[in-house]
Amino acid sequence: MSQKSSDNGASLSQNGTSAYKFTKEQLAEIEVLKTKYPEVQAVTLPVLWMAQDTFGHVDPEVQRLVAQTLDLPESHVHGVAEFYTQYFKEPKGKHVLDVCTCLSCHLCGGMDILGYLENKLGIKAGETTPDGQFTLQEAECLGACGYAPMMQITNDVYVNHLTPEKVDRVLDQLASGQTPDFESIPMPLVSTTSNNKAAGGSDE
Amino acid sequence: MAEIVIDGITYSFDGKPKLLDFILSKDKDVPFFCYHPSMSAPANCRMCMVKVGQYVKNRETGDYELDDQGERQIRWFPKLQTSCNMDMMDDMIVHTHETDDLVKRAHKDTLEMILINHPLDCPICDQAGECPLQIQTYKYGPEGSRFEVKKQHKPKHVQLGPRVTLDAERCINCTRCTRFTDEISQSHQLTITRRGDKNHPTTAPGTEFDDPYSMNTIDLCPVGALTSTDFRFKARVWEMNQTPGLDITNGKGVNVDLWTRDNVVLRITPRHNPHVNEYWMTDKGRDAIHLYNEERLSTPAIRLHPKDISLVMSSWDNAYQTTQEIVESTDPKQILVLGSPYASVEENGAWMQFSEAILKQLPSYTTHIEKGSGDGFLLVDDQAPNTHGCELLGLKKRTKAAFKKAVAEAKVILSLHDDYIERGWLSEEEIKGKTWIYFGTNHTQMAKAATLTIPITCAVEHTASYINVDQRIQRTYPAKETKYTNRRLDLEMSEGRLDRFGTKFDHWVNEDHKVDCKPLWEIVGDLSLLWGHTLSYRHGRDVLDALGSKIPALEGVTYQAMDDQRGLLLTLSETQEASS
Repeated sequence: MSQKSSDNGASLSQNGTSAYKFTKEQLAEIEVLKTKYPEVQAVTLPVLWMAQDTFGHVDPEVQRLVAQTLDLPESHVHGVAEFYTQYFKEPKGKHVLDVCTCLSCHLCGGMDILGYLENKLGIKAGETTPDGQFTLQEAECLGACGYAPMMQITNDVYVNHLTPEKVDRVLDQLASGQTPDFESIPMPLVSTTSNNKAAGGSDE
Repeated sequence: MAEIVIDGITYSFDGKPKLLDFILSKDKDVPFFCYHPSMSAPANCRMCMVKVGQYVKNRETGDYELDDQGERQIRWFPKLQTSCNMDMMDDMIVHTHETDDLVKRAHKDTLEMILINHPLDCPICDQAGECPLQIQTYKYGPEGSRFEVKKQHKPKHVQLGPRVTLDAERCINCTRCTRFTDEISQSHQLTITRRGDKNHPTTAPGTEFDDPYSMNTIDLCPVGALTSTDFRFKARVWEMNQTPGLDITNGKGVNVDLWTRDNVVLRITPRHNPHVNEYWMTDKGRDAIHLYNEERLSTPAIRLHPKDISLVMSSWDNAYQTTQEIVESTDPKQILVLGSPYASVEENGAWMQFSEAILKQLPSYTTHIEKGSGDGFLLVDDQAPNTHGCELLGLKKRTKAAFKKAVAEAKVILSLHDDYIERGWLSEEEIKGKTWIYFGTNHTQMAKAATLTIPITCAVEHTASYINVDQRIQRTYPAKETKYTNRRLDLEMSEGRLDRFGTKFDHWVNEDHKVDCKPLWEIVGDLSLLWGHTLSYRHGRDVLDALGSKIPALEGVTYQAMDDQRGLLLTLSETQEASS
C-alpha cells in the first residue's frame, strides 16, 4: 500500500492540468468557503469533501485539481488527503462498508461479520466487487463501542449490533437504493434517569 | 532585566528568547531533534522536555510567597514542557535533566518511543557517526528495547528526487525537511503523508524533489532517512576528515566543509556563516566534488606539433623553459595575458606581478555573469567566485567584444582558469595558429585546445582568498594533498584516521589521488627566476602580505582576521575612487 503513492504518479496527466473540473457553481461556493477561514489552507478539507462528493474519490488527479483551484502546493493537498482515511485516494465502489474490527467490535464478533461479508460479496477486505457496488474495508475504532459490532456506510450511516441477518438486510437495502435507517440505541444497563443521577452525583 | 534560574544558576536576559535556544547558548545540553534555529519550532519530537515553574507572588503586595522554611514558593507547570517553543519569562525556574530525574525519565521514554520502529541498521547507515538519534540514545536513551513484536515496515530506498534518497523506516517525522521546503527554499515540494506509525515525508504524486536546494534536507535530517544519492554508501563519517572551504561554483562565496578521504573530496556540506549562507548551500555547489576530483590536469603537457590531436606529458622544467622561449621569441605587443575571476585574489595578484615585471603589461579579465540565474538567495548571476577580487586588484576588464578582438590580435596568450570555449566566447577555430599557454585545474575544452598546459592547484589544494558578490573576502584551506604537499608537515591541513595511520603500502591509500600541480604563485616564482627576477612566494599568505602593502583595501587583511570574523567585509568602492 505504501509503495502505491509513488505508482499513482504514472496515471497523472503530463501537461500539468487535471482531467477533472469543478463547475461554476462549485467554484463560487469555494470562494464563499474561503471567506470563512483566516487562511486558504484551511479550505483544503471542505474542498476535498466537495471533490469526493462530485468525483467519488480524491485520487492524485483530483488532488491536483484542488491544489490548483486553491492555489496551494500540491504536496500540501496530498498530505491532507493522505492523512484522513475518509478521503478515498483511489476509486471505490458505490457503497463503502467500513467494518470495525477494533477491540470492542473484535470481542463482540467484528471479525466474524467481516468474514461473513467477505464470503457473501466474494471479495477480501480492501477490495471492490466486480460490479462496482460494494467496497469492503476493515476500519479502526469508529467510536461506537457500545453498539459493537458495527460498520459505517460510505463515511455516513452507522449500522449497529450487526448479525448476519442484519447484514443481509442492509446489503439488500443498499442494492435497492435505500439508505439504512438511523437507529437510536440507548446505552445498555443504565437507564436515562439513573444516568442523569449519576452525572449529577459526580458534579457535586 | 529579567532573570531566570536554570539548574540552580541565575541568568539574566532581555526580550523573549526561546528557552532551548537560551540553554544551548549557555553551553548546556538539552537533547532535541525537530528544532532548528532558523526554522519554526513545531515541538513534535518531544525530546527537549524540561521542568518549568514560576515563583509565586502575592498579587497585592507583589512580594514572593514563602513556604515554611522561608524559601520562595514555586508553582510548577503541571506537566513537563518542550523548551524549544517555550518563551522565557521573568522569575522562571527551569530544571533540565542535569538536576531533575523526571526530565531524565522523559528523555528515556521519548527515545524508547521514537526507537520502537526505528530499524537497527546503524552498521550500514550513512548517518551513523554523525546521527543525533544515535548520539542522544547513547547519552539519554534506554538500555535496551522492550518491544517484542514486528517493527512497522515502510518504503525503503525511494528516489525522492534526482539527488535525495528516502528510507522511510528510519524517519522519525521531525518535519525538518518539509519545513525546509516550506520556509527556507519555499518550493513546498515535501509533505508528510499518511499518519500514525505509517507516516513519512514524500512529494506530491507525479512530482519529484528537484528543488535547487534539496540536498540541505540531507544535512537537516537528524537520522539517516534522507541520504545523498551520490554519496550513499561511499564512506563512513569517521573515515573522512573535514576541512573548511568555500563554494567556488558561483559568486556568493558560500562557506562549506570539504569531506575528504585519501585525498578525494567525497562530499561538500554547508558551514554556518550568518553573514553569507546561514546553514545552507546550493545543490550545484555540492557537485563541485567532480570538479575537484575528476579530469584534473596533472603534470604539465605540451602539444609538440600544432597539428597533433593531443598533448603529451612534459616536465615542469621543460614547461618553464618552453614558456620562456615562447615569450622571448614574441613581440611583447603580441602577447596577451588573461587573469581570471575563477582564480583567487592571491593567484591573480601573483599573476599580475609576473605579468607587469616580465611581460610589461597589465593582465585583463572577463566576467562570467549569467543574467537571470540568480534567485535572491544563494544562487547569483555571477558564476565566478572572485569577480570583485579582479576588480580590486585593478586588472583590466574586457567586454566580450573587446576580449575577442584582443585574442584575434594576439599571437601568444597566457590564460588562467577560464574555459572560454565551453562558455561559447571563443571557438576552437579562432584559436588555431595561436600559442595558448593555459594555467588551469581541469581538462576543460580550453586545456584540450591549448599548446601548453600547466596544472595549478584548485580551491581545495591551497590557501587563498576570494571576494564574493557582497564584497566579503573569505579564504580556503588545503583539503587535498598535491604531489608536493604533506598533511603531516603542513599544519593547516587536517588529518583523518586514514591519513594518520595509513601508509602508501596499505591498500586503502592511493598515491594517484594526489595531483601533480603547484600553486600559481610558486609557478610564477619559478618562472620569474628564468628572467632573473625573484617573485618568490611560498604561501598564499606571502602574496596577500605583498598585496596588502600595495592596495589600501587589503591593508591589514590577514587570514587570521578572516578566520576570526568569518570573512571581512571590504569597502571596494572607496579604494576604487582612491586609485582612479
